[in-house]
Amino acid sequence: MPVDGSLQLLLPEIILAVAGVIVLTAGLTTRSARVPGVLALLGIIAAGAGVYNRVWGVTAEIWSGTVMVDGFANLFKVIFLVVGALTVLVSMDYVARNGIPAGEFYILILLATVGMMFMAGSLNLLTIYLGLECLSLASYSLAGMLRRSAKSTEASLKYILIGAISSGIVLFGMSLLFGAAGSLHLREIAAAIGTNGAMAPVLVAGMMFLVAGFGVKMAAVPFHMWAPDVYHGSPAPVAAFLITASEAAAFAAALRIFLVGLPALQPEWTTVFIVLAVISMTVGNVTAILQTNMRRMLAYSAVAQAGYIMVGLAVASDRAVSAMLYYLIAYAFMTIGAFAVVILLGRRHPAEEIRDFRGLSQRAPLFALALTIFLLSLIGIPPTAGFFGKFYLIQAAVAADLTWLAVVMMINSIISIPYYWGVVRTMYLAEAEDKEPLPAPAGLRWAAVIGLAGTLVLGLFPDAVVQIVSAVQVAPELFLAAF
Amino acid sequence: MLLTALVFIPLLGAILLAFFPRDRVSAIRGFALVVSLIPLALVAMLWQQLDFSQPGMQLITQRDWIPSLGISYKLGVDGISFPLIAVSALVLPLSVLASYTITHRVKEFFLWMLVLQTAIYGVFTALDYFLFFIFFEASLVPMYFIIGIWGGPRKEYASLKFFIYTLLGSAIMLVGILALYLGSGLRTFDVLVLAEQANLSPTLQWWIFLAFFAGFAVKVPIFPFHTWLPDAHVEAPTGGSMILAGILLKTGTYGFFRFMLPTFPDAAQAFSPVLAVLGIIGIIYGALAAMAQTDMKKLVAYSSISHMGYVILGVAAMTPMSLNGAMFVNVSHGLISPLLFFVVASVIYDRTHTRMMDQMSGLFTRIPVAASVTAFAAFANLGLPGMAGFPGEFFTFVGSFPVYTTLVILAAALGLVTTAGYHLWMMQRVLMGQPSGESLPDISGRELVVATPLMVCIVLLGILPGIALRLFNEPIAVLAARLGGM
Repeated sequence: MPVDGSLQLLLPEIILAVAGVIVLTAGLTTRSARVPGVLALLGIIAAGAGVYNRVWGVTAEIWSGTVMVDGFANLFKVIFLVVGALTVLVSMDYVARNGIPAGEFYILILLATVGMMFMAGSLNLLTIYLGLECLSLASYSLAGMLRRSAKSTEASLKYILIGAISSGIVLFGMSLLFGAAGSLHLREIAAAIGTNGAMAPVLVAGMMFLVAGFGVKMAAVPFHMWAPDVYHGSPAPVAAFLITASEAAAFAAALRIFLVGLPALQPEWTTVFIVLAVISMTVGNVTAILQTNMRRMLAYSAVAQAGYIMVGLAVASDRAVSAMLYYLIAYAFMTIGAFAVVILLGRRHPAEEIRDFRGLSQRAPLFALALTIFLLSLIGIPPTAGFFGKFYLIQAAVAADLTWLAVVMMINSIISIPYYWGVVRTMYLAEAEDKEPLPAPAGLRWAAVIGLAGTLVLGLFPDAVVQIVSAVQVAPELFLAAF
Repeated sequence: MLLTALVFIPLLGAILLAFFPRDRVSAIRGFALVVSLIPLALVAMLWQQLDFSQPGMQLITQRDWIPSLGISYKLGVDGISFPLIAVSALVLPLSVLASYTITHRVKEFFLWMLVLQTAIYGVFTALDYFLFFIFFEASLVPMYFIIGIWGGPRKEYASLKFFIYTLLGSAIMLVGILALYLGSGLRTFDVLVLAEQANLSPTLQWWIFLAFFAGFAVKVPIFPFHTWLPDAHVEAPTGGSMILAGILLKTGTYGFFRFMLPTFPDAAQAFSPVLAVLGIIGIIYGALAAMAQTDMKKLVAYSSISHMGYVILGVAAMTPMSLNGAMFVNVSHGLISPLLFFVVASVIYDRTHTRMMDQMSGLFTRIPVAASVTAFAAFANLGLPGMAGFPGEFFTFVGSFPVYTTLVILAAALGLVTTAGYHLWMMQRVLMGQPSGESLPDISGRELVVATPLMVCIVLLGILPGIALRLFNEPIAVLAARLGGM
């Protein structure tokens, strides 16, 4: 591979990293919490422009096969950038109000985004691992950013402990694959496995370690124990960021590793993912019903949503992958939007209990309406993005003769109605004790509007996005020819 | 274009209404009323344009919407949907007018009322399953809020029950729609295409039929899926009850005519005896339950279950006459039940502050005009010849008699007698007897404006049932032929 000119294929990542340094410097030199935020936002927009100008539509593998630039990576990069931008928007007021050091906060968000972009943008296990570590280390610190809050510290500590173990597990799984196949490149691993059937037990063990390690990041049951505490205790914008982007990155890496690297083991991992999907959605939904705290409820709902998305990983057809991508995009919009409303409420009611949502329809009518639509979308009621996400997954499952799995998904959607709708009921039917209107900072308003627009556009006109996601291939032509 | 305007003008009105200042109550009410009157004008234009001598869909508006899935924006109207649209266009503005007594969170109330109108017109005109389902679901949310926020003392319970029942039913129906889409292999959600071309295996047809049945049976409601109805109707504010009984129940029976019978004729025929028995149970059970009530609003609610039983019986018999009768009951009940709910829950209640029959008497003496309207509505509801309630029931019985002779005799013997019984008993207890308590103001001008159009239509349809029959006779004949009826 020629090295010349390949640097510009990493332009988005470079821009983000540079922006991070600028943000940090700005944070150290100004007292304003706004300036670093605005700079971070500009950095993300610049990186987005970089994606659009330099790498969109390009398929190339550079630097001895350690970095892969293709449609799959680019789509995920866009998702991460959008989530990053929305996270910055919802953080603006939050950071200032809670005395979080702005420079550090935003550089960590930007670095976590860079890490995720590498997780999606490589076919090399080492690069994927480095991306994962970059994301993880940034998110551990982000989770503990509320230094005076015991809950935040607890969240951070729990996240570090579980995260470190899961990183170790991932690394161990990768080492087993490396030992068996003699390469860290997924394409070469696939080729080696194809010719060397005797290594099967080691490979299965390696595969299981990878499932467990990435399962932690996806918050799939039974690897989800950290999720409620971390999503509840960490700063709300961080929770929104982790719940959407970090989960999406884990799915991106898993798609590459299992579909490109381990197609020979597909019968094994399909079974594993089906089991994980079914228990994740069921446990997530049933536990969510019992929650009284909004953020814990959203955490368990995230577990359930991860279960839905995992159906796509289990089916693993082209159609299923497109469906997963669609779902991840939809999920990002509706979840960050919902968090914008939670953050707005948290300004007056820091406990963020579901009963604090009483009378929100009177106090902040637009936000209440937006949250209603996000929750309907999370249930999967048309015409919202969530419906088509589920619809495409169901379609893929039925096409793969997994109709029963599709039925389990539908039953789970019905189980999820009470707890999602419970919030709507609280907002509209119950009268608030505190009737004062909730004024919304501009950042939150924009985040809610963008989330709402995304949720509705994906729900009313899904075709444009479907065209993009169905053109994406996990294993692009470039190296399929090399087989 | 006309249909698109019909469907979306109320929504546009709702969006505009959102910008009204919260405390300009009379402006909000007036605007909501004017917006709801526009569809009435559009319906008058539709009546001119439609040719009711031909059975097919007319004024079809079709645009590609989501081509990759075969979803299109398709609206159309025929003789089956038009009468229901017309009834909606009449009842909806009247229910807005009847809701002028709402004083709490006024702007939100009328906003939801307008959103609800879009959903209703959408349900009756959509010819694409996806589009239909959106409207079908969209009718649920505003109604939930209308009951839950502005309802009576047990509003929380009633609204939640209403929501869970109908949402569960429609969720199962959505599964049926998806199964129909994936199972037919036609890659289209077009209602007409699927009805004509879907080549489903008998087993699959059965399952999908049952899934649709779950969705529509809850809405109608068919016994034993009816238990949400008394709670919802009783707790809903008057305007909400009028819409629920007059229109929303018809979205359920409309589902039988538009979707279930044409698309799954074999399954429908096989299922017909069960349907007939459920219809008869509905007629008799509803009437007996109504007789046992002391709350007038509850009595009217149970009488709705009873009347919907006639529709189901007529659908089950599948003869041209019984289907015509069922459609006629749809229309007549759509006029009578709103009137009855209005007089009972608004006119009488606002004066006596009770709905309990044992707490009022002698209303003929105390509020003669209001009491006469009540008597009129009660007579219409019990099916007195000369009013709209009679022809539908008559056609249904005559049409069903050759098919389900025993059941019809049973229904006629028990149902008709009981129906007459509870109405007469209600009038005896409430309207007659010794007047007691202080004097009450008689019916107001606004209330007369609500009641009069309904009364005029009821008499008109009672004397000249042909006005309505002419509309749906042709499509019903085609439908009956498709079902292989006599």
